[in-house]
Amino acid sequence: MITFRNVSVEYRPGEKALDDINLEIQEGEFVVIVGLSGAGKSTLIRTINNLVPITDGELQVDGNSVGDLSRSGVRKLRSRIGMIFQGFNLVDRATVIQNVLMGRVYKLPTWRNVFGAYPKKDKQIAAKALNRVDLLEKAHSRATDLSGGQRQRVGIARALSQEPRVILADEPVASLDPPTSHAVMQHLQKINRDLGITTIVNLHFLDLATAYGDRIIGLRGGKVVFDGKGSECTPEIFEGIYGRSLTAEDTLQEDI
Amino acid sequence: MQASELKIPKKPGLRGSVMFSISFAFVLTIVTMITVEFSLLEIIENFTRPNMVVDGLLSPDLTQIFSERSRSAFLETLQLAILGTVSGGGLSLLMAFWATDFGNPIGWLRVVVRNFNNVIRSIPDLLWALLFVTAVGVGILPGLLALFFFSMAVVTKLTSDTLDGIDQGPIEAARASGSGQLSMLRMAVLPQILPSYASFLLYGFELNLRASAVLGLVGAGGIGSRIEFFRGRLEWSEVWGLVLMFFLVVFLVERLSVTIRRRLV
Repeated sequence: MITFRNVSVEYRPGEKALDDINLEIQEGEFVVIVGLSGAGKSTLIRTINNLVPITDGELQVDGNSVGDLSRSGVRKLRSRIGMIFQGFNLVDRATVIQNVLMGRVYKLPTWRNVFGAYPKKDKQIAAKALNRVDLLEKAHSRATDLSGGQRQRVGIARALSQEPRVILADEPVASLDPPTSHAVMQHLQKINRDLGITTIVNLHFLDLATAYGDRIIGLRGGKVVFDGKGSECTPEIFEGIYGRSLTAEDTLQEDI
Repeated sequence: MQASELKIPKKPGLRGSVMFSISFAFVLTIVTMITVEFSLLEIIENFTRPNMVVDGLLSPDLTQIFSERSRSAFLETLQLAILGTVSGGGLSLLMAFWATDFGNPIGWLRVVVRNFNNVIRSIPDLLWALLFVTAVGVGILPGLLALFFFSMAVVTKLTSDTLDGIDQGPIEAARASGSGQLSMLRMAVLPQILPSYASFLLYGFELNLRASAVLGLVGAGGIGSRIEFFRGRLEWSEVWGLVLMFFLVVFLVERLSVTIRRRLV
């Protein structure tokens, strides 16, 4: 369970990226966070694994108070939270399986990571993760030789190989075309349903948000302005979140 | 009606100052030539006079390199170049990492390492050799120390520049999955720079091989001390024989190294 209690983040004094956030996210939920760029979506999900430290309030993740963790405590927490990025963040020169094995980094001693000496068990975990996103046959291709959608699926497999309790996805489809975007979102949804991993996804396309989000949280100016079921989310509500009328650029499919 | 000729806008820029710079450089060259009393005639005169050095060049002793002492001095040069490159180049990977903000979270240490890298880079190879000959005496050790610092400076600089341009995304990914510092550098950074780094090591080896010929002149071991020995005895055939054979080896090693480096990057 993830609980935000009066959480604020200031990058510079007086400039609040997050302003008094109160949220409770239950285990196994599929949550989509929407908002304009600069609304605080990226900051919000990065506080959960402490990539962005909170400056005020209390944030509980899996029974840990994130603000009070030691350096090794932070690493342990991060090992249980998989993360997926807009720009995939793969090592292009490395092979697909090498990228996925990065998810095992916390569980293995440093010398094994340094020499790339992975035990059979960990290779199996990586292979299973790749199989789940239908990319096992690409295991030995270089990451740079894959298409955008395939690269993001490698990103998902890397997160999965951590055997995480939570998956955070920061604009995972922002650099993909519409059919590929749906494929990636469907993979995330299926993983959430099959494995019960709490999944939090930042999106800025409204049609994707309502199609996949069981719950939608709307952010505006660092504040939560909407929190409800995806099915309850009407265009009027989105206009409230965005603070302006909707345009064609707010949806993935142009005909909606 | 005839179309009127188009007036091309004047080319913007620094035409005047370019002309000025060129004439300034020209004048400077003339003034310098006069000051150092440069004379082309004198060069020609010196070369056409009976001259032992030129005679030696016309009849070089190409077999000198195979004599026992020259051979071992030559092996010493190779060993110096290899040891210097491996030790200095190896350490430069760490020095380059420690000079970046993702490789070294401690701010003041980063500043110290960066300044250290800048200082060692400004010292040329021969000066290193002179320093160490003075400090530890004549022999192979000062040569090794000189090449160690020299190649560390060169490879660190090149590797640092490569590190500046890497993709930071994988670093964030490694951190987000709970990686420690060393594992992160190995998994997210090293694969990105490894081909370039390997090519820098080879380049460092080429430089060291050439440098190690000069090191001997100041008493820092290797083939240079053999060349210096014959020069002192005015045996120019031997000097030129060694220089030519050494040139041949450097040329071959360089060709090989360039070929490998092209494949790497």
